[in-house]
Amino acid sequence: MTEHRDVATGPPDEYVEAEVHRLLTEDPDVAEQGITVARRESGLVLQGEVESAHRREEILRRVAERFPDVPVTSDIGVIRTAAPTEIEQLP
Amino acid sequence: MIRIAAVGDVHLDEDVVGRFRPALEELPDCADALLLAGDLTRHGTEAEARCVAREFGGLGVPVVTVLGNHDHQCDQVPQVVKVLQDAGITVLEGDSVVLDCPGGRLGVAGVKGFGGGFAGRCASDFGEPEMKAFVRTTTESADALGAALRGLDCDVRVALTHYSPVPDTLAGEPLEIYPFLGSYQLGQAIDSAPTALALHGHAHAGTEKGTTPGGVRVRNVAHPVIRQAYSIYHLGDHLDQGEVSRTVSSGIQQTWS
Repeated sequence: MTEHRDVATGPPDEYVEAEVHRLLTEDPDVAEQGITVARRESGLVLQGEVESAHRREEILRRVAERFPDVPVTSDIGVIRTAAPTEIEQLP
Repeated sequence: MIRIAAVGDVHLDEDVVGRFRPALEELPDCADALLLAGDLTRHGTEAEARCVAREFGGLGVPVVTVLGNHDHQCDQVPQVVKVLQDAGITVLEGDSVVLDCPGGRLGVAGVKGFGGGFAGRCASDFGEPEMKAFVRTTTESADALGAALRGLDCDVRVALTHYSPVPDTLAGEPLEIYPFLGSYQLGQAIDSAPTALALHGHAHAGTEKGTTPGGVRVRNVAHPVIRQAYSIYHLGDHLDQGEVSRTVSSGIQQTWS
């Protein structure tokens, strides 16, 4: 988990949670529907996986830009693209 | 035996081009076809489709896809489809394709699908025009999928959608958004034909395995779910236990599921 911002202004409310969630999908620079937003006493936790490190950084940048007073913790990973090591047999 | 590789929700743009390619280069050794379950792009632009064409074109195996909701975002579907088709990728929407594979004829019927929800907890074709349009979009999509599946003349039928036909593979997603992730009507369409396998994407936080009420195996191959470049499924009853436990030349360990 990476602490992205730390501004002590109290926990974000449901409306902030909703707005951040919508931003993640509707902001053309983000366009992610697979990131969850959880409210904690310490701020928001963003969790999920994206296709590149650049996209992860862009998510944090855009959220911080739009909600500069909301502390955000990132738990966003980059999905692996290795070839599979197993085959599923479906007789 | 027919060997299918599948993945969905790869969301390509310039920053992702090349990430899948090393694993994709192995496909001719381990699969007869690659099926893509939609959301190939981030915003559905022609430029992003060109990224898809570079990454998934010229693989040495047939590539068949449906589009996803992201591929519709910028209202450039005709351009996206043309770029994909020019790269040799078959794009299905209410139709099907039959591929001659060494193990038999593989028939793939595909639609994007749509939401609506699942038995007892679904939207109804009633009320405001917007709600009726929502449900009718799903109904038309499911009807097209069912007709395409039933019309196939092949040895093995596979249904390819973006939205989910069952709730099983949504486990892990919030229950409240299930109606936006799939519809029981897609499952009903799949069960209207002797379908061997149904593949879908869209539900990034879902799980891989499920079955339709009729017993058809369903696999959510969204990239964040399978966490690898693609999954491989062997369909058919021509393998014995000895064959499925050996390591194939590409290094893939075969196992019973």
